[in-house]
Amino acid sequence: MEKIIEYLPFLIPIILLELVLAFSALIHLLKHPDVKFGNKTIWIFVVLLVQIIGPILYFTIGRSDQS
Amino acid sequence: MRSYIAFCKKEVLENLRTHKVLILMIVFLLFGMMSPLTAKLMPEIFKSLALDGIVITIPEPTALDAYAQFFKNTSQMGLLVVLLVFGGMLSTEITKGTLINMVTKGLSRHVVILAKFTVASILWTLTLLASFITTFGYTAYLFGSGIQPNLLFSIFCLWLFGLFLLASLLFFSSFTSGNFAGLALTAVSLLILLLLDIFPRLHALNPITLASLNTALLSGASQISDLTLPVGVTLGLTVLLLGSSMMVFRRRKL
Repeated sequence: MEKIIEYLPFLIPIILLELVLAFSALIHLLKHPDVKFGNKTIWIFVVLLVQIIGPILYFTIGRSDQS
Repeated sequence: MRSYIAFCKKEVLENLRTHKVLILMIVFLLFGMMSPLTAKLMPEIFKSLALDGIVITIPEPTALDAYAQFFKNTSQMGLLVVLLVFGGMLSTEITKGTLINMVTKGLSRHVVILAKFTVASILWTLTLLASFITTFGYTAYLFGSGIQPNLLFSIFCLWLFGLFLLASLLFFSSFTSGNFAGLALTAVSLLILLLLDIFPRLHALNPITLASLNTALLSGASQISDLTLPVGVTLGLTVLLLGSSMMVFRRRKL
């Protein structure tokens, strides 16, 4: 555990980038009325809980095409 | 030429506005940061697992382990993300019919394919470069600066394989309809290449060796001469796929 704390300066940017990805997907999701597959509630969980892959799947498959 | 530049600009804008650049950059930067760190912390991770009675001792990680992690991440997850992000670059425009206006107004269909390939490969180059520089910096800091043999050639191989994937995406999208058919066919052909990788005799002709032998190149288990033929084959196939997708796309109904 001590070693993990020692490397905290390296872990923080990784966590930040993951958060940027998750929240940009979440904002896009909340601003748009519908999604291509499933419903919005499912996508909120996918985007927030599945790291990295969740937001990618949302932007590539799930997002609606209306701008 | 002017229409080519204009269409390239349109592609760049589209990739920015659909968050594709953002996804690629973030994911590859994450890989760049995570790979050396995972290698460094691997002994700690194993220690914290602490199974009863089983002592797992792994040797002190080195810079080679960091690059092994990097190539594992980028050649598997990384290429998957590239496929997902660029999977619809041609097929969504065909299904939505957004190309009809431009083509009837005189935009050459060759330009469409070439511009799409150019922009996608520039993005791929930039993201791979950013990821590689990050890993290089982190590895130098965490493991001390030692130059790995064949490192640049190894990354070149992965880059070339990415271009090959983009060309096959365009080729398979040029004659299929629907949003995901082109992507699915590319995935299937990738699976076939993976299966063919079982036969050692075909290694010299299989593009997939470019994405699977990267770490072996660094450790010295493979030599540059082992990969010259696959590099040639992949270059040839990429040009062939691009050429045939232009030929096929010229005749298709939009």
